[in-house]
Formats: sequence, structure tokens, C-alpha cells
Amino acid sequence: MVECLTNKKVLMKGNYAIANAAVLAGCQCYFGYPITPQSEIGEFMSGKMQELGRAYVSAESELAAINMTIGACSTGVKAMSSSSSCAVALMQEALSYATTDELPVVLVSVMRGGPGLGNIYPSQGDYTQAVKGGGNGDYRTIVLAPSTVQECADLTYKAFYLAQKYRNPTILLADGLLGQMMEPVEFKEYPYPEVDNSSWRLSGTKDHKARIIRSYGPLADDRCVFLEKLFDKYKKLEENETEWEEIGTEDADVVLVSFGSTSRNVKTAVKMCREKGIKAGFFRPITLFPFPNKRLKELSKTVKKFITVEVNMGQMVDDVRLAVNGVVPVELIHKGVGAPPDPEVIFKQIEELI
Amino acid sequence: MEKDFIIAGFGGQGVLLAGEVLANAFMLDDKNVTWYPSYGAEMRGGTVNCSVVMSDTEVSAVQKAKAEFITVLNQASFDKFVSCVKKGGSIIVNSSLAAIKKTREDINYIFVPITKLAQEKLGNIKMANILALGVLSRVSKLVSLETLEKALYTVIPPHRANLIPKNIEALKLGYEYDLLKV
Repeated sequence: MVECLTNKKVLMKGNYAIANAAVLAGCQCYFGYPITPQSEIGEFMSGKMQELGRAYVSAESELAAINMTIGACSTGVKAMSSSSSCAVALMQEALSYATTDELPVVLVSVMRGGPGLGNIYPSQGDYTQAVKGGGNGDYRTIVLAPSTVQECADLTYKAFYLAQKYRNPTILLADGLLGQMMEPVEFKEYPYPEVDNSSWRLSGTKDHKARIIRSYGPLADDRCVFLEKLFDKYKKLEENETEWEEIGTEDADVVLVSFGSTSRNVKTAVKMCREKGIKAGFFRPITLFPFPNKRLKELSKTVKKFITVEVNMGQMVDDVRLAVNGVVPVELIHKGVGAPPDPEVIFKQIEELI
Repeated sequence: MEKDFIIAGFGGQGVLLAGEVLANAFMLDDKNVTWYPSYGAEMRGGTVNCSVVMSDTEVSAVQKAKAEFITVLNQASFDKFVSCVKKGGSIIVNSSLAAIKKTREDINYIFVPITKLAQEKLGNIKMANILALGVLSRVSKLVSLETLEKALYTVIPPHRANLIPKNIEALKLGYEYDLLKV
């Protein structure tokens, strides 16, 4: 693996694409602990970061890795960690801290089967873990969900940018299928402006007064003010950064909602519906937080039914139901764990549900 | 047009690498392509496989239960995948390590002593995977020998460039093998 800037298509695993994009995004520090199906990220970083004179630390545990990321981010450098399901679970406390510390932590979560140790096959079982958070207190993390290897690269760029811009931890939520599969991908230069962090980073007291970054807020009133500010930020995120893809929704009777790798097969199933004369549309949230609530609500005025398709027991379906707020029914097609259901299987289930 | 390929064999036979070369060749031909490995708790000597999907439009699904062209390098893979060949599709069988036996009427069987050829003509059984790609090129008519050669240059890292001529030889040997022999 020698890739960096390519400006032409190369065939690459999703995991390598994420790692390569992180390097190009200017990530200065990587901290991680290996776990299938994302170990290639650490493997790539272990060579490339040292080659570029940046920091790579093979941490003693996931707890250490994410807390090292917090430490590096507090100095204003771009830093990241990556892990998978049961090990991302171990990082939840730190994510809560990073949110209240307002640190631009980037975490790549490559989902595998759960709960518990589960297995190493693809899954979308950590939608709730990523979107709602498993740490304490009121907080959100920005969550981006790629569906192709190209998006693994592009959304890694975006993860670093949004994390910096909003000073909020950002999760790139991929899965075992995306991590392990290869697909052509092109790496262009990091397309976003650099965010000035000179007002808050910890860089020594030579040029400014002492600063402190901490999550402790002893005064009740101050904490209320802080939380209001934090959630104003989330409102801004929803207004400005919500992203989705939709196809054929204008005249659709039924809209299929799906994210990540599963959405690829759903898109095919929607095409099959159209060929059979079923007025189906396709809707793919790209940002899972902020979730495209507003657009789904709009669509509920013309659509007769929504069906979400997920490789879990039904997690995003709750958010679609909230967005639609009972105006029309929201059904679920799901598979517990593994590669997404075949398009034919999804198509048949759509036929049964409409 | 969309075509599906599966390559399967023992861990260590280089089936993932063969798939990677094939997928790179399709990319060089400006096709959309995906490659997906079996990545369970695999080990050397166990079975391993990868799926390659080539499409003129967006790939419809990365992992598929059936394929038009399945290449199997050992008996275990033959037993596992012969039922996965789509009707009218082809199975390329390494007859050095799998019995010559036709169990279905609706598919084409291509038996080639791939490992034996690699050993006898190239002096190295490790060439079997690339030799199989030569056979696949001939049988599928979906990827040319020239593009596969180019793909070898993409996949084989610079510090192993000395292996490229031998691999090109393997491709040709597979392509030129008289398929009517068996």
C-alpha cells in the first residue's frame, strides 16, 4: 500500500480508502487497537504515518486509544482512532467527554455483528450506538454513513472538516462489507478549508493566558447555559449539514429508506419495482446525525408508505417513524447480521408489504 | 450488462489475489467492479473465495449467491460452488485437485489440470491462480489477456516486479490450453 494522492482510479479496500483519505485530510495522529473487520486501517497507518513523520500509536486498549485521541485533539492537531462494534462500545465514555470538551475527535466505526463479542461479519447493529450515543449525558456525535468505497474516502475528508468546524466528535460509520470490499476509488486533494482553532487549542502559554479544557461544570446554572449552547450547535448542524440521496421520490407511492452498504441492494430492488410498475422511490440518509427529518416529513405528504431496510433488528426505522410522526405507516425489512439481503429478496418483501 | 465471478480454493492458492487481478482488469477496462472476500475465521489450508462483480452500470449487489463464471481450484470448492453456477454459466475446475465429474446438465464444465500445468510448464505450483485467470479469459471472453497483463503490473508491487514475466507466461499458458483435451 503506497497510495496517497492518486488523481486516478485505483482498486482499494474500503478500510485502506478511509486510512488513505485520513492521511490526505491532514490527520497528524492515529491511535488504535486492532479488531476485525477494520484492522487494515491501523495496518496502513502504522506504515504511512511514520513515513510522513506523523504519530502512530498502537495503544494498549481501545480505552487508551480514544483517550489519546482526546489528548491530541486538545492541542489542535487533527487526530483519529478507528475500531469496531464491541470495541467502540468501550469508547463511549470518552466520546461523551469529547463532546462536552468540544473536541474534534474523528472515530471510524466499522460495524460487525453484535451484541457482545458477536461475530466479524458485516452489520448495521450500531446505528443506535453511533447516532444516540452510549455515553452519559445530553450529547450527539456527527455521524456519516458511506455506501461505496469512494464515499469511504470522501466522507472521511468530510468527517475531519465537520469535526473541526463544529468542534464535535464525528463518527464515520462503515461496516464489514465496506471495509473488506474493493472498488475503484479516486483520491483528490482535501477539498475543505482549514478551520482556525487558535482561540481554543492548548498550545502553551507563551502567547496567551492559560487555558483549560475540561468536561466538569460544577455550577448548575453554568451547565444549563453550556447545554443550550451545545444543542444550538446541533440545530445549526441540522440546518446546514444534513445530507441525503434520493431517487424517484417525486411520484413515489412507497419510499425505501436505507443507509450504508445495504442501500446499494435497496437501490437495485427499487429499480426492480419500477420495472414491474410499482411506484417506488429510494432515500438514503448520508448524515445519520443530523438526520434528514425535514425532508422525510415533506415526503410523508405525498408518499403512502415508507419501508426501511436495515441489517439489524430495526434501529433507523425508529428515526424514520419519528420524522414521519404517524402521518403514514413505516414498515421494516431487515436481516439480523451479514451481507445485505439480495435485491430479489428485498423486492419480494416490498411486494408483500405494499 | 452485469456479470458475476467467484474464484475459490484452498487458503494459500492465491484465489484472493487472482480476484484482485481480475477486478483490476475490469477497472482498467472502465467497468464498474467490486471485489469481496470471504473473511471468516480463515486459515491456511481452509477454503477461501472471493466474488467479483463487473457491470456497465452501478453494481447491483456486492455479494451474490450465484455467478455466471465460477473458478474452483480444489475439490472442496467444487463441491461447495457447483450448485452456485447460474444456468448456462461455466465452472472452471482445477482437475489436478478435483475429480472430473459432471453433476449438472445446465452448465458448462471446463476441466483443466491447472496445478499440474503450473508445476510442469512453469516449475511452480504457486502460478496456478494466474494460470486459471488465463483460462477464465478464454472461457468468459469478457476480459482480454492484454488487460490482465496490465492488471498484473498494477497488483504486483514494485519489489516483486521480477515475478511479472513468469505470471504473464502463466496467463498465456492458461489462455492457450486446448480446452477440448478433456
